[in-house]
Amino acid sequence: MSATRGWCLRLKAQPDFRVDLGGVLPARLAAMTADEVARVEVRHGNERLALGELFDIAALDGVAGESAPELRLDGDLSRFDAIGQGLDDGVLHIAGAVGDRLGLSMRGGEIRVQGSAGQLVGGEMTGGLIEVTGDVGDFAAGALPGSMDGMRGGTLIVRGKAGARCGDRMRRGTVVLHGDAGDFLAARMVAGTIAVAGRVGAHCGYGMRRGTLVFAGPLPAVPSTFVATHQDIVVFWTLLRRSLAYHGGPFAALPVRAPRRLVGDLAVDGKGEWLLPE
Amino acid sequence: MSSPAQETTSAMNAAPGSVTLNGVTIDDTFAEAFPMKATRVLITAHNETWARHAAVAMTGFATSVIACGCEAGIERMLGADETPDGRPGASVLLFSMSGKELAKQLERRVGQCVLTCPTTAIYAGLDEGEAIALGRNLRFFGDGWQISKMIDGKRYWRVPVMDGEFVAEETTALVKAVGGGNLLLLARDTDAALAGAEAAVEAMRAVRGAIMPFPGGVVRSGSKVGSKYPALMASTNDAFCPALTPLARRSELDDYTRCVMEIVIDGLTEADVSAAMRAGIAAIVARGAAAGVTRISAGNYGGKLGPFHFHLHKLLGGEGAA
Repeated sequence: MSATRGWCLRLKAQPDFRVDLGGVLPARLAAMTADEVARVEVRHGNERLALGELFDIAALDGVAGESAPELRLDGDLSRFDAIGQGLDDGVLHIAGAVGDRLGLSMRGGEIRVQGSAGQLVGGEMTGGLIEVTGDVGDFAAGALPGSMDGMRGGTLIVRGKAGARCGDRMRRGTVVLHGDAGDFLAARMVAGTIAVAGRVGAHCGYGMRRGTLVFAGPLPAVPSTFVATHQDIVVFWTLLRRSLAYHGGPFAALPVRAPRRLVGDLAVDGKGEWLLPE
Repeated sequence: MSSPAQETTSAMNAAPGSVTLNGVTIDDTFAEAFPMKATRVLITAHNETWARHAAVAMTGFATSVIACGCEAGIERMLGADETPDGRPGASVLLFSMSGKELAKQLERRVGQCVLTCPTTAIYAGLDEGEAIALGRNLRFFGDGWQISKMIDGKRYWRVPVMDGEFVAEETTALVKAVGGGNLLLLARDTDAALAGAEAAVEAMRAVRGAIMPFPGGVVRSGSKVGSKYPALMASTNDAFCPALTPLARRSELDDYTRCVMEIVIDGLTEADVSAAMRAGIAAIVARGAAAGVTRISAGNYGGKLGPFHFHLHKLLGGEGAA
């Protein structure tokens, strides 16, 4: 058994093909010796490659069991997909960009990326926390092709911008987007909360059935399929505002006064809501 | 004011082993209390008036589990800085003999007294414990228009109502608790008994985690277990009825004790009940026998029914239940 709380994998050189890092998870690796970690095979194009050929491996300071298992990945990992896929425990730190499917279907634990990420960040995740300091690609918190539901729980924090269809088919959980959002933000959203501080692209809320969109920055153009309601929502707003304030930036400055509320998309069920602080 | 003779007589008639502080005799006895199930909920509203209206209604007809289903009370009023939604509120404690009955009472009372009260919202007041429904079923009042929101791991229901929306947390926590701690205040007359009881209750209300569920925190119809009538499970506590001093088979009163008030305490923990009883005793002792309450006793059933025994003398020494 390993006596370390985790490992640091430092990229040696860019691989020739895309690498699938699915299954390389903190808790699994923390139970291994350095040799065992080095022999863990991952898919590299159509072949399998040992981690030891891709990364320099070093133990993290600390003793196993004192804190959550941890895995640190250093380097430009934009050719590495499925990092943290299925994560349910432990902490994954990545210093550098990552590829697609970051935290896909994760159930718990934390993933923190110092860089940008590709498509499907937090897709279909059911729990845990993902924080990306850079931008994320399309379909963040979205659903895989053919799947009915996108993000189903947990929290996704994006400090940069998001691509198109962020929150597509999202069913539960919270997305906090500090930057701009691409087209079709919250399209086909079933439930959950998305708070966005930047500008949003076209067709925001297209087919939105339920869920909450909070606009902490520039107010969007309101589509004809969204209408205003005028009830007092200060109680709910206070609960949500206090929760969002934790994320800082524009979210910490949300006004105490209850926001303007729109509901839609009336083309589907009309139970989605947009909150527009004034 | 009582006469020195009365104080002396009271002390002279005290049971062996009793302690006299500031002229007030404290019996060498204990309050016998029972395990209960409890929960705490936080009610908020547009202002304190409406929060209190809801809390008073919700804790109405909740003096005794004998016939009310639960015992409930306002633990304390909450400032806007103490509530989840930043509005004034009330902390309410409910106690019952079973988790099932507590869940039933909670849902009925929230549904009829809080959901109905203008501007209110309701939240769990305990984090740890078995989850029981708070807004989980009340949401159906929304007839399909209700909205669920998960915020920081807690689910809330937003039910459209005529003044806006009723926000209720999905569940609250049920915990094991202690019910039936008590103090008996023996006084020379009604005025003195009431004044003493009011002072004691005021002091006891400062203790968090405890309530005094009877009207004003005080009960004048203390009971004993059983009755000469087989259908009744409880009947008047004849040993402490001044009317029966010369008649009852065993009276605890002397001729100078003409009014007795009881304060019943339910608490989330033994420590809470102990603290409340200690505060009540201290308030009576501080007033002194000259104020008219000359003796403090407690009700028990010989120690055979309830597992929690709050010995008055141990409370004086800062200890809790035995």
